[in-house]
Amino acid sequence: MTVRTLLLAALLTAVAMPAVAHHGWGGNEEKITELTGTVVKPVSLAGPHATMQVKVGNVVWDITLAPLPRTSAAGLRENSIPVGATVTVRGNRSLEADHHEMKVVLVVHNGKRYAVYPDRL
Amino acid sequence: MGFHDFLQWLEGSPLGHAMRSSGVWTYAIVNLFHIVGIALLFGAIILLDLRLLGAWRGVPLASLSRPAVTVAGTGVTLAVLTGIPMFATKATDYADNYFLFAKFALVALALLNVLALHRSSAWRAQAAGQALTIAQARRLALAAGCSLVLWFCAITCGRLAGYW
Repeated sequence: MTVRTLLLAALLTAVAMPAVAHHGWGGNEEKITELTGTVVKPVSLAGPHATMQVKVGNVVWDITLAPLPRTSAAGLRENSIPVGATVTVRGNRSLEADHHEMKVVLVVHNGKRYAVYPDRL
Repeated sequence: MGFHDFLQWLEGSPLGHAMRSSGVWTYAIVNLFHIVGIALLFGAIILLDLRLLGAWRGVPLASLSRPAVTVAGTGVTLAVLTGIPMFATKATDYADNYFLFAKFALVALALLNVLALHRSSAWRAQAAGQALTIAQARRLALAAGCSLVLWFCAITCGRLAGYW
């Protein structure tokens, strides 16, 4: 019985491992890149992660921020940055070249730094 | 009303507004109870389904099926009641999320399996504590196999929807 329970636990652990290893950032580059553009959709504190959209040249980037409590704790709120403002973001962009999405760790606006993932900078 | 109209209507509904404007922890807490619901559901059905497939034959089936159905029913109700507001939060974002809609289809199939099972003579016989014929035992085992596969695939698609 004990051996069977242990085998079951080992199997479940093996199944769960890749999920843990890949959490969240699997589809994005390892390296940090920087974008500067204008805000077309302000910070939204809705859903599992906060989001915003930034236009760089003719391309609109979907910016994924930290989960809501963490983004809010970094000082970044829905009214912090107005539409049309220039922002610089740093983060890990999508591995797919034609997918303009970035998981952002830092937002800089008007000299103010919002480090939503300070440990990933 | 088309599919995209429906998503926009859901997102713009009072439920969607409430989810987006009721504090930064709301989504996380609703999500928590969604997972608790899934845990109750899957934890209960795995016991019943494995029993129906031949494990723990010493446990009287009627003694297991009654609490298992109560717990699983509570779990699926909780999961649905918390799933709708999470979907409404940003419904239009999920328009091309195939995992989410595959999950909805799998949940519908799994619920149809439950409905068909509960209407079968084999289920009524076990609930009454009667000895099952071989055909009845096979009917229950078939439903149990379908249940395990469908719910596991539904959970898989649900989890992967978050990574799409």
